[in-house]
Amino acid sequence: MSHVSSPVLRRLHDEPRAVPDSAQAHLAGCSRCQARHTTIRLDARMAARLLTAPGVTADPDLAWERLQARLRGPRPGAAAARVARPRRMTRLSLGTGTLVTAGVVLAGAGAAAALSTVYTPTHVAPVPVSRGDLRALSSITQVGLGQLGGGLPPSGVRQLPFGTLSWTSAGPAETVTSLAQARAQTHLPVTGPASLPSGVGPVPRVMVQPKLTVTIRFSRDAGGAVGGSTLVVSAGPGVVAQYGSSSGGSRLTTLVIAAVQRPVATSTGATARQLEAFLLSRPGLPSSLAQEIRMLGTTALPVPVPPGMTSRHVTVGGSPAVLLTGSAVATGVAWEDSHGVVHGVGGLLNQTDILHVARQIG
Amino acid sequence: MRASYVIRPGAAQPAAAPPQAAFSSFEKFFRAHYPAVVRIAASVVGDSQAAQDVAQDVFIAALRRFPDPDQCGHAAGWVRAAAAHTGLNAIRAERRRDRRQQLSGVAAAPLSPEETVLDSESRTEVRQALGRLPRRSAAVLVLRHSGLSYAEVAEAMNVKVGHVGTMLRRAESALRKELQR
Repeated sequence: MSHVSSPVLRRLHDEPRAVPDSAQAHLAGCSRCQARHTTIRLDARMAARLLTAPGVTADPDLAWERLQARLRGPRPGAAAARVARPRRMTRLSLGTGTLVTAGVVLAGAGAAAALSTVYTPTHVAPVPVSRGDLRALSSITQVGLGQLGGGLPPSGVRQLPFGTLSWTSAGPAETVTSLAQARAQTHLPVTGPASLPSGVGPVPRVMVQPKLTVTIRFSRDAGGAVGGSTLVVSAGPGVVAQYGSSSGGSRLTTLVIAAVQRPVATSTGATARQLEAFLLSRPGLPSSLAQEIRMLGTTALPVPVPPGMTSRHVTVGGSPAVLLTGSAVATGVAWEDSHGVVHGVGGLLNQTDILHVARQIG
Repeated sequence: MRASYVIRPGAAQPAAAPPQAAFSSFEKFFRAHYPAVVRIAASVVGDSQAAQDVAQDVFIAALRRFPDPDQCGHAAGWVRAAAAHTGLNAIRAERRRDRRQQLSGVAAAPLSPEETVLDSESRTEVRQALGRLPRRSAAVLVLRHSGLSYAEVAEAMNVKVGHVGTMLRRAESALRKELQR
C-alpha cells in the first residue's frame, strides 16, 4: 500500500475510528509515515493548546434579552439604515405643526361632512387611507402630498375649484426648553413618561405649535346652501416632544409624544348634511374613503391608517384609543382624553413599549 | 455558491422582527446554539465580552437570513462559521489599528497583569498569526478547536467531510510556521 496521506494522518489524531484499518496497519510498519504522523500530531496538539477558548460565561437568558433589546431599539450602526423613517416622522410631527395640520386637514373633511355649525369630536376612530386617497385629498385641497406631510408654511391660501382654502397659525412653531415650559405656554396637560423604553434617550426636544385655523370659503358657484358659506376648522395649540436614541444622540428620533387641543369646526350658512353631501361628492374623492368618512358619525376624530399599517382598538387612561401597527419598527397610538386633548405616541418601538409609554402619560 | 459569512463586528443591523411563531422558533435556535457560537468567537478574539459581542452580531445577522431556522437545514452551521469569520474580522481590524498606532508613534496600551501572564502563552501572537492566515484556514482551525466534529466543521465550511482533514492539516502547519517566523 502507498503511504498514508497527511489528511488521513491528521484525522487519525482526532477520529481514529473514521480511519480505515488498512491505513492504520500501514502506519504501524512504516517509519516514514510514523515520522510524518508525529509532526502532524505535534502541530495539532500545539494548535489545540493555543486555540483553546478562555473561560467563557455564556448566559443564553441574558444574551436573549440583550438581543431582543437590540431588535427593539436602534443602535448607532443602525442609524444610517433607519434614517429615512424617523425623518419622515419628524416631518409628520413638526414643521408648521404637522400633527395639527394633518389633523385639521383630514379631520376637516370628515368633520365638515358631519356637522351643522359646530363639530367637537369626543373620540378617535381609524380611517384607512390609501396612497390613492392621499393623492385625491392632495388634488382636492390643492395641497401637495409633501405639504400634507408637514411642509406647509405658517399661513397660506389655495384656490379650490369650489372656493378658497386658507390657513393661518397664531404664531410660529418654536422650540422650548422643557415640557414644563410647553405646559405653561399651551396649558396642555403634556408630560413625559416616568420610565422610558430601552434605547430611548432621556431628554426630549420639545416644540410648541400655536393654534391653527383652516378656513374654506365656498364660492357662490358651489351652489345650493353651501355656495357662499364658510367653514372654519381650528385646532391647537399643540406640543411635540421628540426623544433621540440613548446610544445615537438626538439625531435619531426614536419616540415622539404629541398633544393637541382637538379640532373644532363651525359653519355659516350650511347644515351638516348639506356640507357632507357637497364635500363627499367632489370629483376624484374615492367612494371608499367617502363611505368611511360617512360611517364615522358626528363625534369621531379620524385617525388616518397609512398603507401597510393596521389599526386596533385599545384603551389608554380610560379613553378609547387607536393603535397603529404593521411596520416592524414604527408603531403609534392616538386617543382623546376627557378634556378634549388629542394625544399621540409613536416611534421606532414595538407596540408593548408604545402602549407602556402611552399609559404612563394617558 | 459559497455562503457569505462576513459580518463586521458591531455593524450588524437590527433585523425586522419575524412573525411570532417564527420568533419563538428563532429563540429556541438561539438558546441551542448561543454557547457554541460564543465559544468559537472566544477562541478567536480571546476575550469573553468581545466574544459575546460577536455572538450578538452573528445572531442578528442570522435572524435576517433565517427568520425561521426550522425551515433551513444549514442555519446551525452558518452561525458557527459566521462566528469564526466575524471573530477573525475583529482581530484583523485590531491588527490594522495596531499597525496605524505603530506608524503614528502612538504607544499601545500597557497590558494588564492578567494579560501579561497570558501573553507568556503567546495568546496575542496566536491571534496575530491567525489573522495572517488565509481566511478559510483560520476558520477551520477555530471551528475544529472549539470542539466541532469533522462533520460539523464540514457543514459549517460547506465542504465534504473528507476535505476537512486536508484543510486542517494545512492550517495547523501554516499556523506553526507563522508562529516560528
